[in-house]
Amino acid sequence: MMARRGFLQTALGAAASGTVACQQPSLGPGPRGRAAVAILRAASYGEDLLDRLQRGAAACGLDARGKRVLLKPNLVEFVPGAPIHTEAALLAAAVELFERLGAREITIGEGPGHRRDAWYLAEAAGYRAAIPRFEARFVDLNRDDVARVAGFADTGGIYLPRTALAADLVVSVARMKTHHWAGATLSMKNLFGVVPGALYGWPKNHLHQVGIGRSAAELYRIFPRSFAIVDGIVGMEGNGPIQGHARPCGVVVMGADLAAVDATCCRIMGIDPEKIEYLRLASSLGHVRDERIEQRGEAIAQVRTPFALMPEFQYVRLA
Amino acid sequence: MLSRVESRLTMLAAAQNGDGGWGYFPGKPSWLEPTVYALLALSEPSDSPALARGRRLVRSWELPGGGWRACAAVNEAHWATSLAVTLHSVLGIYDSSFERGVAWLTASTGAEGRPLTRLAHWLRPATVEFDPTVSGWPWQAGTSSWIEPTAHALLALRCAAARGEQAAVAGRIATGERMLLERRCRDGGWNYGNRRVLGADLPSYPETTALALMGLNGHPSIQWGDALNHVERMWRETRSPLARAWLASCLLQYRGERPGLPDAARSPDTDDILVAAVEVIAWDRILPGLNLPGSNLPGSNLPGSNLPGSNRRGSVGP
Repeated sequence: MMARRGFLQTALGAAASGTVACQQPSLGPGPRGRAAVAILRAASYGEDLLDRLQRGAAACGLDARGKRVLLKPNLVEFVPGAPIHTEAALLAAAVELFERLGAREITIGEGPGHRRDAWYLAEAAGYRAAIPRFEARFVDLNRDDVARVAGFADTGGIYLPRTALAADLVVSVARMKTHHWAGATLSMKNLFGVVPGALYGWPKNHLHQVGIGRSAAELYRIFPRSFAIVDGIVGMEGNGPIQGHARPCGVVVMGADLAAVDATCCRIMGIDPEKIEYLRLASSLGHVRDERIEQRGEAIAQVRTPFALMPEFQYVRLA
Repeated sequence: MLSRVESRLTMLAAAQNGDGGWGYFPGKPSWLEPTVYALLALSEPSDSPALARGRRLVRSWELPGGGWRACAAVNEAHWATSLAVTLHSVLGIYDSSFERGVAWLTASTGAEGRPLTRLAHWLRPATVEFDPTVSGWPWQAGTSSWIEPTAHALLALRCAAARGEQAAVAGRIATGERMLLERRCRDGGWNYGNRRVLGADLPSYPETTALALMGLNGHPSIQWGDALNHVERMWRETRSPLARAWLASCLLQYRGERPGLPDAARSPDTDDILVAAVEVIAWDRILPGLNLPGSNLPGSNLPGSNLPGSNRRGSVGP
């Protein structure tokens, strides 16, 4: 009896997985033109990261003069020594970058997905120590004032923090990680942290119910004035985004097209971005196809660092 | 010089908004969650103007279906309905709003019990290891059960049940307790929701561990001595003021007093309304202390079963 049940479970489970793997949403043509993505080498967090970010910003033609900028790090959770969050040194360099670019206002905002005490997480991650005037800059997006934005997948709408909605530029300062449900988590999935936990909880299970891929693509649609800085100096491989292992990769990846930045990161990680659901869903908003992305700085082949993948995601491995 | 409690209460009183509520931080628009916590912290004396203004705002946020909205900007029933129900019990206000709130909570359940979700779990039981037949409470309608909203709902229903238990409420409490027990992590505490995902054990968090134990209210299947020692260890180790406040509340509930720290080791003054309120709420008087196995609690000073304000039953709603 148990053997029959086990066989049924295995067969139906395999069929379901196969269906998921085969029935990917179609890849869109992307917007007109090409997207610029800069790849900068940085072997460690002790290097001159501001220099790297300035070169990346110049390569992408980033203009932040007079803008209200929201820097959104990945601080979903903090475990000492684990490469879960955006490193403080890179976030501090990003603050300085936008100061030098003439931003009118620089706010750091995050709504951690697992733990409620955002201020404690920021302290533990070293943000307070590394970033001048951190207390005045930081907003706990989980508990910010909210406004409703109409249209979010087929749910009618979503409440989002006013701090994020008022920003002229939302900068996703993400960490390069594999993800046990989405395959990879990079600049677009990092936008989950703007969704207010005070309404949607810890975790923000609503986004999982809508679908991780759909939610990431929808948030990208809602925040078109965005920019990405991905911390790939040390990434996370395997059972990410929390329980994986450190994977030194030695790069920072930047660009104004979040889909193109994430697609580039995937290629660096040895992942086929065209097999990542959220990138296919976002492919009408940004560029995923290799030929539509103009790589600046380092070439992908020079920095490619295959990340270990969970067994469920072996099918996304770049050929 | 003000004591720490007096300092927190003064800060809370000063942070009340003109509409009678509290934001998550002073000067921010009012939300239900910080408003209820602040009112619980300031519930004595019960005839204060601040309490009356707060009660009026809470009353105005009740929705026709029995839940409470999260804030003025959100017109949907919110998980903090649990807190509103607890507030009614603490103030001894057992009116029709209270009854609707209890009914709303009793009917609310997690999405993991749905047939398709159960089928998916049956096909891939190791993806997230849990028993989908025992459901707690979700953060939001249509989503799965998680530890914190389940703990708050159990506290609310237990307070409600103290004045005359209904079968539906008792059944829902029992199911919620089973959900919490079933989701306990291997390390003895609770994560925000699950204990094991994709074959990997998840670590417990201090705040959810405290809340789960508060929600379990002396459940006989818990080795309370070990559990409270674990809570005390977490309390000494965590650097999170919010986690420390919940852990101290848990110890207050079961041991009758909050642990003390030298002033130098204490959290700095905070403008976080949740932290300030949770730190001073008299949980030992709020929680009715039903089913507590007293002999199992080392050093315990078991909370009594009297709800503050229980002699004010029948008074008007908040």
